Amino acid sequence: MKDNPYLPQLARIVTIKEEVGGSRPIKSFRMQLLNGHRFDFKCGQCAMISVLGKGESMISISSSPLERDYLQFSVLKMGRVTSALHEMEQGSIVGLRGPYGNGFPLEQWTGKNLIFIGGGIGLAPIWSVLQTALRQQNDYGQLSLFYGARTSSDLVFKDELRKLKDTLPVYLSIDVEEPGWTEFVGFVPQNVADKKPSPDNAIAITCGPPIMIKFVIKTIQELGFQDNQIYTTVENKMKCGIGKCGRCNIGPHYICKDGPVYSWAKLKTLPQEY
Amino acid sequence: MVKISDVRQEAKRLLEKGKVRGVVGYVPGTRGGWAIPYLIQEAERAEQLVWDPTCVHNLALFVVEEKKEQAKQKEPDKRPLAVMVKGCDSRAINVLLQEKFINREEVVLLGVSCENSGVVDRRKITHLLHGQQAGEIRFGDNGNIVVVVNSERRIFDPQEVLADRCLECQYNFPVVFDYFYGEKIKKTPPAPYAQVEKLESFSLEKRRQFWEEEMARCLRCYACRSVCPMCYCAECVVDPISFAVEPTTTAEEKAKKIKWIEKSPLLSENFVYHLVRAIHLAGRCVDCGECERVCPEGISIRLLNKKLEREALRLFNYVAGTDSQAPSLLSTFQETDPEDFIW
Amino acid sequence: MEKILKKSDLGKWVGKLSAFDCYAPTKENDHWEFNQVTYLDSLPEDYTQVNVPLKKVVLPNREVLFNFEDNRNGGPHIQEVLPEEKEVVVFGVRGCDARGVALLSKIFSESSPDIYFERRKNQLYVVGLSCYPLPGDNCFCLSVGGGPFSTQGMDILLSDIGRKYFVEVLTPKGEKLVELGWEFFAEPNDQDRQDRLRREKKAQEMFNLEIHEAEKKAGVLHHLFEDKIWKTESFRCLKCGICTYLCPTCHCFDIADELASPVPLQGKRVRVWDTCQFPDFTMHSSGHNPRPDKSSRLRQRIMHKFLYFVETYGEIMCTGCGRCVSKCPVGIDIVNILNRVESHEG
Repeated sequence: MKDNPYLPQLARIVTIKEEVGGSRPIKSFRMQLLNGHRFDFKCGQCAMISVLGKGESMISISSSPLERDYLQFSVLKMGRVTSALHEMEQGSIVGLRGPYGNGFPLEQWTGKNLIFIGGGIGLAPIWSVLQTALRQQNDYGQLSLFYGARTSSDLVFKDELRKLKDTLPVYLSIDVEEPGWTEFVGFVPQNVADKKPSPDNAIAITCGPPIMIKFVIKTIQELGFQDNQIYTTVENKMKCGIGKCGRCNIGPHYICKDGPVYSWAKLKTLPQEY
Repeated sequence: MVKISDVRQEAKRLLEKGKVRGVVGYVPGTRGGWAIPYLIQEAERAEQLVWDPTCVHNLALFVVEEKKEQAKQKEPDKRPLAVMVKGCDSRAINVLLQEKFINREEVVLLGVSCENSGVVDRRKITHLLHGQQAGEIRFGDNGNIVVVVNSERRIFDPQEVLADRCLECQYNFPVVFDYFYGEKIKKTPPAPYAQVEKLESFSLEKRRQFWEEEMARCLRCYACRSVCPMCYCAECVVDPISFAVEPTTTAEEKAKKIKWIEKSPLLSENFVYHLVRAIHLAGRCVDCGECERVCPEGISIRLLNKKLEREALRLFNYVAGTDSQAPSLLSTFQETDPEDFIW
Repeated sequence: MEKILKKSDLGKWVGKLSAFDCYAPTKENDHWEFNQVTYLDSLPEDYTQVNVPLKKVVLPNREVLFNFEDNRNGGPHIQEVLPEEKEVVVFGVRGCDARGVALLSKIFSESSPDIYFERRKNQLYVVGLSCYPLPGDNCFCLSVGGGPFSTQGMDILLSDIGRKYFVEVLTPKGEKLVELGWEFFAEPNDQDRQDRLRREKKAQEMFNLEIHEAEKKAGVLHHLFEDKIWKTESFRCLKCGICTYLCPTCHCFDIADELASPVPLQGKRVRVWDTCQFPDFTMHSSGHNPRPDKSSRLRQRIMHKFLYFVETYGEIMCTGCGRCVSKCPVGIDIVNILNRVESHEG
C-alpha cells in the first residue's frame, strides 16, 4: 500500500469541535489512523483528506508533530469535500494521505524570537508551529502571537487562546467594533503596526487571507524585518499532492511539494499565481 | 467580389474615429496562409485584414467572449465592437440578439458575402494536395477556389474543396449587418439534409453502431463547446464545478452543484455530453459547422445538430438566426404547434 | 546492436510476438491512431503521425486508482486497482512521441514514483520508426533536442532503407523482441549503414520549421511574465484542450470519485486527463482563480515547457511533434510565439 502515493490510509475522527458557527463555519477534527500507525510530519505540512465518494481536499495539519495521540485539522467549510466533512460525526472514517510539502524550517530558528501573525483560518498552520515551540520553549526566545478575524465569533481556538495568554503575549483583533470587545479593533496588519514587534533576532510567521499577508509583509518590512526573516504559506488548488497533476504551480515550484512554506525572500522571486 | 480594401478602409475609419473599441476580423496566420481571428485595435493595422476561403472561423464567438470579458472589468470600454460576419456568423449574431445576450448597439457588423462560394475544408485540401502545404488559398471565378502550391496555381471546383456546411448553406449573404461587401447571390443547395437522410435510412442497430463509434473517440477536449457562439452559458451542466462562484456563494450551494456527468471520456458520458449539447442547440444552431471543424477526432458533431435543425424546420417551420425579433423556438408555444409526439 | 530486417519478414517477426499485445498505426477517418492489431504485415507507406500520441499508453485518459465501498458493517474499504499485467509492443512510434514518454518519466518516476505510470512504462516496448520523409509540415524536433532518427525512449528503431529496415536494437527489451524472431534478422553491411546515414542527413535538411536557439528561450521567457504578447496571442484562444491533450509531454490530470451507488457507497477513484487551458483547472473552491484568463493560461503552457521544466530538469518539455501547431483550431503557433519573443528582446 505504501508504494502507491494515491492510496489513502483510513482514519477515524475521534473528536469534532465546533470552532466557528454561522455562514463560514470552522470545525476542528482530531483523527487517528485505523491501523494504529503514526503519521509522521513536520510543522506546516499538509495532508490530503478523502471523503470517499466526494473527493479529496488538501488541509494543513494544525496539531504539533509532538502530539502523539492524534492529528488535528481545522477546516473551513468551503466546497463539496469540506461540506461533507462538516457533516461527519465522531467515529466516522475518512481517508488520509501525506504528509505533503516542505514544512517550516524550525531547525533554523533555534534561539530566535518567533512572532506569529495569523488571520481567520490561517491560524491553523501557524498553530502547529506555536504548539511545538511552546513544548520546546528552551529552544526559542520570546514567542508572541497576533491573531485577528472579522468578528469575535470568527476567531478559532478561543479557549486555547484564553489559556495561552498566561504564557505569552497574545494580541487579538477584530475588524469592526463589537460590544464587550476590549482588545484591538482593526485589521491584523494595523494591530502589528500598533504593537511594533522588534525585528531583532526575530522570525515572523504569517498566514491568512492573501490580502492580509500582503499588508502584514509590508507592515513588518517597515518595522525593519528583512525578507529572510519573514515566512508565510501559500495555497492553490491541488489534486495529487506529489507535483504531478500540474495545477498548484507558481513558476517552477509545485506548492504541494516545494511549498507551502516560503520565506518572503524566495516567494517574492516567484510569479504571483496564487 | 468582396473588395477587402473596402472592408479595411471602413475598419480603419471606425478605429480612427473611435467609433468602435476594436475590430474582430481575419488576418493571415503563420502556417501556410490560413487566416486566424484577430482583434485589431490600432487603425493602421486594419491593412492586415483579409477575406479568403480560409476565413473559416465564426467570429460571433468573439462577441460572446468579449462581452464576458467586459463583465469582469471595473470600467469597461462601452464603445461597440466591430466584427466581420459571414452569413452563418451573422445568423449567430441574430440568435444572440434574439436571446438578449447582446444588444444591437454593442456591435458594428461588417457583413461579407460568401457569394457563390464559401470557406474550404482543410481536410479536403490536405487530401487533394497529398500532404503538400498550400501557400495561398483565394477565391477564383465562378465560385472556384484557387490554391497555390509551390508557386503553382491549381484551380478546384467548389464541390471538391468547400466545407460541407458551405455546400449545404443557403445563407451565403449576411442576414444582419451595418455594412456589406460583395454581392447578394441566390444560392439553393441541392440537398441540405442528404447526410441526415442517409443516416436515417440505416437500421436502428446500424445507427447505434455508427454513433457509438463516433462517441467512443471523443477526448472531451471540449473544443466543440468552446468554439460555439451559442454555448455561452456561464455555467454548463457538464462542468464538475460551478463557475458562478461569488464571495457570497455558500459552501452548501457549491456542494449541492449536481454532477450530471463524469469527466471521464467513457462512452456513456460522451453520449450524455454530446446529446445534452445537441438538445440545447435545437432551434439555436446556425450550422456554422465550427464544432465539427475543430474536433481533433473528426466526430460528426454537425450531423447531430443538422438532424435537430431539420426537425425544427419540419415540425415548426423554424430556421434559427434568421430574425432577431422572432420568438425563439423552444421558449414559445403556439397553438398550431404539432403535438402528436405527446401521448 | 544493429540488424537488418527485410520488410517482407516484418509480419513473420510480429507473428512470433504473440505473448504481447501489439499496437500499430491504423487509419481512422483520415487520421492515424495506435490501435491493437492481431497481425502486422507492413508499416503503412502513407503513415505520417498518430493523432493521439504514445503517452496514452502510459498515461491513459482514464485510470482507475482504486475501488471503494462502505457496506456499513465493516466500515469503508479501499481496494487498490493496478493496470493489467500485460506487455505491450507499439510499432511505428515516431521519435517525438518516444521522447515524450522519456520526458514524462522524469515527472512520474523520479520523486514519489507513480506506480500506475511505472507499471505501464515497464510493460511497454517501443519499436520506433525513423522519419524520412518527415511526417508533418509542422515538425520541429530538431530545434528541441530531438531529430528524425532520434532513439531516446525507444527499444528498437526501424529505419526504412528501401526493401528492408535498418534495425537499431537499443535496450535489453529490444534484444528480447529481436531474439524471439532471431531467424529473420541479418547483419547489416556497409551499404546498409550508408543508406541509413544518407537518409538521416537528408531528413535533417527537410525541416520547414525551427525554434531559433530554443535552449536559450528560458533566459528570454524569464523576463516576459508580464509581456503583452500573451494577451495578443490568446485573444483567439478557445480554452479547449486540443493543444495539451494531443501533446506528447502534457500530463496534467484531475482526480475524481465516480459513484456506482451512493447508498451503500460504492465507487471508483479515477485519474482523468485535465488541462491548464481549462478555466476551472486552477480555480479555488472560494472562486478565486490564480490564472483567471486566457493570457495567463497560454503563458503557463509555454512557460512550463520552455522555462519551468528547464529550470527543474534542464530539458525542454517539448519534443517538436508539431501537433499543437497543426491542430489548434485558431492557429496559435508556439514556434512563432517563441521566435517572436526573441526579436522582442533584441
